[in-house]
Amino acid sequence: MSARIPRADRALLAQARDGKPEAREQLARRVGRSAYVFALQITGTPETARDVAQDGVLRFFQHLDRFDAARPIDPWLYQIVCNRARDLMRRERVRRHESLDAWLEQGHPEAADPSADPAADAERHDLQRQIWRAISRLPEAHREIFVLRDYHDLSYREIAEVLAIPQGTVMSRLHAARKGLREILIDEGERSLDEPHGRRGEQ
Amino acid sequence: MSEPQHRFDEALISGYLDGELTQGDDQRVRLHLEDCTECRNIAGQMRKLKEATMTSEFQVPEDTQWDEKPRGSVSGFLSRFGWMIAIAWVVAIIGFVIWQVATDTENLLEAVLVFGLWLGFGLVFLSVLIDRLKTYRTDPYRRIEK
Repeated sequence: MSARIPRADRALLAQARDGKPEAREQLARRVGRSAYVFALQITGTPETARDVAQDGVLRFFQHLDRFDAARPIDPWLYQIVCNRARDLMRRERVRRHESLDAWLEQGHPEAADPSADPAADAERHDLQRQIWRAISRLPEAHREIFVLRDYHDLSYREIAEVLAIPQGTVMSRLHAARKGLREILIDEGERSLDEPHGRRGEQ
Repeated sequence: MSEPQHRFDEALISGYLDGELTQGDDQRVRLHLEDCTECRNIAGQMRKLKEATMTSEFQVPEDTQWDEKPRGSVSGFLSRFGWMIAIAWVVAIIGFVIWQVATDTENLLEAVLVFGLWLGFGLVFLSVLIDRLKTYRTDPYRRIEK
């Protein structure tokens, strides 16, 4: 199930702002899922992520009337979630890695829809689990920027807005995050990074 | 694996992979990657990381496991309760003053002038207070270390 928010959600947003209960509920569900996944990715703790997501949705609706409907929803939502997650992580830092390891042991993240090549699927899923484990070991600032770009697909301008950093800093920090991630994976003996890629298509 | 020892802003590789470079920089990186094996390897590994990350699937809690509708927290409830008390208090004070003015017919002009002055100051103070509170509550960066 994708947790990304479709960019063309202005009609739903407009209806929610008009106070239509069904639209508000649908919007709450949509942003709640997206907020939960982002919070989980940066906190690594399902319980914390749920608290952050619920609080994020609450704040999202509190300020809905003041939001510029011409702008995409996600950067604003992620900004709210990011601030809240930072607050909670400062308090729960000690618990974090233990929770994430337990969560990864349960088979998360989920395997994507199976393709015609089960071996390739298994390899990709294994790489994904290694990547998310490595992401959890990145510094907070690198983890946030990597997830915002490479999972949530935000542009550099949107990332700058979410993280309140200059747009020119985004590329260098993102590259540092990718380098850090790559080094962690190589140190842990992950070899599939060096294998020829392209199974899922070149960019 | 050793890092490239040449003069090249390696961060441009990320901008290139993300399609965020200007046409000139994009071309420069493309040409560099054709010549430099190490940077080409880095770009390939980063592209693979990016693809694997993008295609990850995350399970979200079932709809029944959490509240879908926005619900106030304890602090939100206390805040709203506090505001209700404050508003009721202001209304009661204003009502009392109006009642005093209406019943004090002997010094009506003096009472109206004093009441008007205080009401004006009160409204200005209230508007400033509301603006300040709104600014504080909606400032997304107030909890971020600068």
